[in-house]
Amino acid sequence: MPLFALRFLLLFALLLSTITQASPRLASLDWTLGETLVALGAPPLAMAQVDDYHAWVGEPQMPDSVIDLGLRTQPNQELLAALAPERILISQMFTNLTPRLSRIAPVELVQLYTPGTDTWTQMLELTREVGRLAGRDQAAEQLISSTQARIDSLAGQLSRPQRPLLIIQFMDARHVRVFGPNGLYQVVLDQLGLDNAWTGGTNAWGFALVSIDALVGLDAQLVVVEPKPAGVERELASSALWQHLPGVADNQVITLPPVWSFGALPSCQRFAELLSAALEQAHD
Amino acid sequence: MTEQRRPALLCLLFALLAATLALTSLQPLGGAGRAWQALFSQLSSDYLLLQYSWWPRLSVALLAGAALAIAGVLMQQLLRNPLASPTTLGVSSGANLALMAASLLAPGLLDLGREWVALAGGALAMGLVMLLGWRRALAPLVVVLAGLVVNLYLGALGMALLLFNQESLSGLLIWGAGSMAQNGWDSAGFLAPRVLVGALLAWLLIRPLAMLDLEDASARSLGVSLKYLRLAGLGIAVFLAGCVVSVVGIIGFIGLAAPNIVRLAGARRLSHRLLWSTLLGALLLAGTDLLVQSLGQRAAMLIPTGAVTAALGAPLLLWLIPRLRLTGQRAPSPAQSLSERRHNPQRLLAGLGLGVLAMLLVALWFGQGPQGWYWLTSESWSVLEWRLPRVLAAMGCGLMLALAGTLVQRLSANPMASPELLGISGGSAMALMAAVFLLPAPGNLMLMLAGTLGALLTLALLIMVNRRSGWLPERLLLTGVAITALFEALRAVVLAGGDPRGQQLIAWMSGSTYYVDTPAAAGVLLAALLAALACLPLLRWLDILPLGAETSRALGIRLERARLGLLLLTSILTAGATLVIGPLSFVGLLAPHMARLLGLTRAGPHLLGAGLIGMLLMLLADWVGRQWLFPNEIPAGLMASLIGGAYLMWGLRRL
Repeated sequence: MPLFALRFLLLFALLLSTITQASPRLASLDWTLGETLVALGAPPLAMAQVDDYHAWVGEPQMPDSVIDLGLRTQPNQELLAALAPERILISQMFTNLTPRLSRIAPVELVQLYTPGTDTWTQMLELTREVGRLAGRDQAAEQLISSTQARIDSLAGQLSRPQRPLLIIQFMDARHVRVFGPNGLYQVVLDQLGLDNAWTGGTNAWGFALVSIDALVGLDAQLVVVEPKPAGVERELASSALWQHLPGVADNQVITLPPVWSFGALPSCQRFAELLSAALEQAHD
Repeated sequence: MTEQRRPALLCLLFALLAATLALTSLQPLGGAGRAWQALFSQLSSDYLLLQYSWWPRLSVALLAGAALAIAGVLMQQLLRNPLASPTTLGVSSGANLALMAASLLAPGLLDLGREWVALAGGALAMGLVMLLGWRRALAPLVVVLAGLVVNLYLGALGMALLLFNQESLSGLLIWGAGSMAQNGWDSAGFLAPRVLVGALLAWLLIRPLAMLDLEDASARSLGVSLKYLRLAGLGIAVFLAGCVVSVVGIIGFIGLAAPNIVRLAGARRLSHRLLWSTLLGALLLAGTDLLVQSLGQRAAMLIPTGAVTAALGAPLLLWLIPRLRLTGQRAPSPAQSLSERRHNPQRLLAGLGLGVLAMLLVALWFGQGPQGWYWLTSESWSVLEWRLPRVLAAMGCGLMLALAGTLVQRLSANPMASPELLGISGGSAMALMAAVFLLPAPGNLMLMLAGTLGALLTLALLIMVNRRSGWLPERLLLTGVAITALFEALRAVVLAGGDPRGQQLIAWMSGSTYYVDTPAAAGVLLAALLAALACLPLLRWLDILPLGAETSRALGIRLERARLGLLLLTSILTAGATLVIGPLSFVGLLAPHMARLLGLTRAGPHLLGAGLIGMLLMLLADWVGRQWLFPNEIPAGLMASLIGGAYLMWGLRRL
């Protein structure tokens, strides 16, 4: 980026933060916290891997004024120090950076998907905590109630599938992630009152990596979350095992556009909307 | 025929083992009887899993294992190096990089067929290796070196892509760990004819290849065109390995272990080695895969077979190394000097020293901030708080690794030797990985302790396995290869699982100075300088050891003591550097070679030159890595292999 543009951006960010005043200058290493900040109307001053956020989280859109800090695992320290944020928000993945980052600004750890806790409750806590840090307590309460209301209304008019859902994402043509407890998709299924067909174990991040033969014999409505890696479509067309899975041959598989599978409330609502729309369509 | 009996017994043993495992893994599918029926019935949904998954998977495992073993025998024979394996010429890393690049830049290519992209990548990598070695008639030393450099280079490029695109490339990590899961007969159908052709061609070449047991000169006098023989042999090996890699991913160890085990079991003639290795390779891979299937059913998680072969093969090789004699073994080709010896190295060394100093100043004073490039001024000098530790750590680690590399290359007279290959980095990294994944929130002190413990355990293992053989360099390196393979297997499993913490692991393993603070960095540099001083009394050993064991003994060196002493020093140096910047910096391999290419051949100048080059390389790499993609940082270790590798390739081409 040319020099003047950077300067301009900086000035702009500074201006923005003085106009909106209440919101402190926050830096976030984590996309989940980032999307929550945007949803609360207080986008961060800087975030790690902004481009990849656009590609993998997408909605809610991160404004262009947000400064890129580089890799999430190694945010640029010189840049961060020069930007002098008031607080740095991290998730439990980056706790090893706490000692060095706290030399720049106080580091706030906000957790989500901690194994053994109720994810939905934790998600609400996260929203309130981020709201408090951003000086947006009211907006946080609003986000919670509007999300809850939206999901409840979706649940009320849902066309329920006859078989439990099996939510998968293709890694390559022979392996998929199957999503289960302690993940975003499961939270949405619970909120919508839908059943998950996967009863096998999952890891701490709410998915299990399995080869396709592990799906044989499950009586389920398949839901494929995109993106599909390149070439998978072609290989699946000639994969005998895949073609024999329920619903594949007669085109009953539901395909959903990408949703950040480690997200917070905004991603939840998005997934709930996409899923219920797809079920509606499948029903017709 | 006693020579044949032991390998045959070994194969029988493994066949029985594989059969038992097959029965176990068939239990949940209806038992062996049903599997047998499935094989001879029409394809139908009654036998879905047996016909579309179990049988194709077994066939692919047998075919791939056999192909990798054949490729391994060919490589080891042609390159006269027991450490050579199908991956030596860069086939896997080429295929890997091609797949990564295609997924990111031209996904349309993958629609044409993933195996073709992989095969093309593997072929290009090997073409590059051949090109680099062509002027020297594909002499083993040059080919091995070129392969190693190309491997490192492509590996580093792949690592860089992975670091910045972990989400998009997560599927390739499964491929990289070698999963054998099948959805039908496509892969088996692709492999079968190709493996058959490759095997036939290898058998046709047996007679001329056997001549290579002689020295180059005598083989030539018997009318063997070495250049074309090598081209043909390596071509077949790469074709076989490439086909396997493209279909099932990277399968570690079979190509290295099968030929070595068979040879250690007593098969000496090339035809015997080829026959038994092929069988053993097929059985090893199939057996492992069956074991993985039964385990996977219980653990409810995906265990990649390729990683497991490495994990199982490593202890097996460790167990075999001290037990079996290496009698049928030729001595490795002496490390002939690669370039003119320089008689007055002082000016060169002084120049290098000035270079280090200049780079140090640039790295401290010049860089990018939110407003673009700037020189350090009195207002901005607090930035030094972030720069100083990184610069010091880069210098310290560069020096340590360069010294360690020089020591181990002189100790073993093997051009493939590097501190990474001794296994110390791998062991240390394994312990760190365990700490990151098993402890809830490990602090830096905890990680340091874990890493040191890992390095010490590895050293103990090296000593235990090699004590009786009197530190024979060949065995030492084989031990290191086994440990390194274990580490790579573990890493592949962890990364393939898609655990988000994998990203942290990648960042640390790429060799970054990011995580160092000033006291630690100063400590590292001080320790490195002390170690350099400790090398001074060892110079006589280092001058004489590369001349071979007999000469050394004749000149009054107590070989075992010298080897143990150098080994200890190397381990300490490697462990120190690994703790700070991770296991994959390659400086330990590159710096000694670069010093040698500059004509520094005697131990003193060689050590000093390598040390200076190591420091310069790491400083430059660290600085360029931080500036190039600002605000993103490319870890110094990765950058060092990209810069140093390019120089080495250029140097090799000139030879």
